[in-house]
Amino acid sequence: MRERILGRIHRALEHRPKTLLPEPLPAVSLPPAETLTLFTERLSGNGGEVVRLENLEAAAEWLGHFAQTFAGVAVGQTVPPVLHPKLPVLPPEEAPLGVSWALGAVAETGTVVLSSQEGRRNQLLPPAHLVFVPEARIYPTLFEALNALKPSLPSAIGLHSGPSKSADIGQIMVKGVHGPGRLVVAVISGK
Amino acid sequence: MKVTANQYPQEAARVLREEPHVRDSVTGATLNFDNKRRQAYAEVDAETWRHWAEGVKNHVLSNLDRYLLEAEAKLQKNGVQVHWAEDADDARRIVADIARTGQVRKVVKAKTMVSEELGINPLLEGMGVEVLETDLGEYIIQLLKQPPSHIVGPAIHLNLEQIRQLFHERFQTPLDASPDHLAAVARKLLREGFLRADMGISGGNFVVAETGTLALIENEGNIRLSTSAPRIHVALVGLEKLLPRFSDLSVFLSLTARAATGQRLGTFVSLIQGPRQPGEPDGPEEVHVVFVDNGRSSVLADPEAWETLRCLRCAACLNACPVYRQTGGHAYGYVYSGPIGAILSPGLLGLEETKPLPYASSLCGACFQACPVRIPIPKLLLTWRNRAVEEGLTPRFEAAAIKGYALAMTQPWAYRLASRAVRFLPEKALDNTVVPVLKAWTEGRAGLKPSPKSFRQMWEDGEV
Ligand code: SF4
Repeated sequence: MRERILGRIHRALEHRPKTLLPEPLPAVSLPPAETLTLFTERLSGNGGEVVRLENLEAAAEWLGHFAQTFAGVAVGQTVPPVLHPKLPVLPPEEAPLGVSWALGAVAETGTVVLSSQEGRRNQLLPPAHLVFVPEARIYPTLFEALNALKPSLPSAIGLHSGPSKSADIGQIMVKGVHGPGRLVVAVISGK
Repeated sequence: MKVTANQYPQEAARVLREEPHVRDSVTGATLNFDNKRRQAYAEVDAETWRHWAEGVKNHVLSNLDRYLLEAEAKLQKNGVQVHWAEDADDARRIVADIARTGQVRKVVKAKTMVSEELGINPLLEGMGVEVLETDLGEYIIQLLKQPPSHIVGPAIHLNLEQIRQLFHERFQTPLDASPDHLAAVARKLLREGFLRADMGISGGNFVVAETGTLALIENEGNIRLSTSAPRIHVALVGLEKLLPRFSDLSVFLSLTARAATGQRLGTFVSLIQGPRQPGEPDGPEEVHVVFVDNGRSSVLADPEAWETLRCLRCAACLNACPVYRQTGGHAYGYVYSGPIGAILSPGLLGLEETKPLPYASSLCGACFQACPVRIPIPKLLLTWRNRAVEEGLTPRFEAAAIKGYALAMTQPWAYRLASRAVRFLPEKALDNTVVPVLKAWTEGRAGLKPSPKSFRQMWEDGEV
């Protein structure tokens, strides 16, 4: 099969001139805003929520308040222990909240970059998803983020740019169709 | 999938006559998509992006054998099992083998057009496997046993009332249930599906040769779930879907989203390198990529039509098309509808089975303006028309008539002229009119009596 298909392709291309590969295109037209401001604007525009936190300590304190309204949590494997909410740990399919530690983020598109190394289900099954990301890991563009990721790619990366949505029912937007209906990104500025 | 493209004129007429709400739903949805696409293009240097994307795709296509080998090697190194399917039978055999070996009982599917091409659902159901479409739109049309009518929004031909009615009959939801309520009902059912499924089947937007990455774009999260929760993931990928470099994804992911829905990026993008690694808490144990030919290598060999293979399946050309807007996708009689269907279906299936499709256009050129990879759709429509006439597949008068239909559907003046012409025809002439669309229109209603005045005239004369 393989040989037959490759042979057909080979024959199809025999007399076709080979065209050159264009140089990579960084391809953005970013408004002249500071990276974090742009990230906040774009993710909010996509329906996500952004919280800015000074440092890990401030983040832990904020988390204490934030977590109060949830009855349980599923936490990603790579989330630092100080950022585990003091809540009963539940399997992702039962937890009302999932917590993740992002590999990075993209300002241009309002996106967080999530790795399979911390577990995929806790990124997808709970109805609310809280993602921590250090400010230093927010890349202005998707192009820069992808280049930074390339040397050590995990088995799967999820780029999440807002809450799950669909307009398949009569063109009316509904949130939280399969993935989380609420995405909160907490940006941590210092150590 | 059963091909009924040769009935296009009759089907188009039937939809217009019997399902007038389809035109309303499809027009509303496509105008909205098209509008958002324009805004999203305007935000960037879309001309540069489109030319660049065209250049990258042309390079890949002119070196496709080399890139396929590179991708295969990379995928295998990442632990992915690579399969090759020459046609639909091959592909079905491959999927059946994987399902049998893996003792698969339940399958979740993330929207894939290739799977429609290959007839994967009937195959699995025939094996006693339970198949659940998980894209909300796909799920709705699966309940109705209908094929998708649009590449991106498979259920855009249905309005809220129809979906309310459907859910009322199936799940006893109230007849005035809100879209949120309906979605919540579907979410619950599908959530169980994800957690119980042994296998997830997806398509693939891109495969990066450099890293062996399979990229998938979506908004609901069902693709991420279908490729994360079950123990086996099978991706059915057209063999033209390759990109050379990982960084090429940045433009292609964003350009696809902008063209399809006017977003900067799909809400969820999966970049899959392979099965679950040691130390990872979850993820599929097996990942399979099936490279599907099914007519694509013949399109590649075609000195003109090969450009069709740049297609990203974004549906921007459908959204821009005034002819598609009249009927939606079902009339086109194959998986791919609208302008891309009109040039791809003849390439994949041959003209014999698809001869009216290249006429389903008024050649207004809006599709080319919208296309993110600059496929010269109007030029290729003419190419296929000429071939149809040369091969004697379409008698000249019939070709002209179908063309007239497309024109009438899109130009108010032409529509007025045509409907006036019908009214002036003697009643007898309509019984075997040479105009196939009008013929179809009259089918089943012995002796269509045209009203003495057009609706428009009545309107203008203040009679309605
Ligand atoms: S032909 Fe162009 S516009 Fe149409 S679906 Fe393909 S890429 Fe999109």
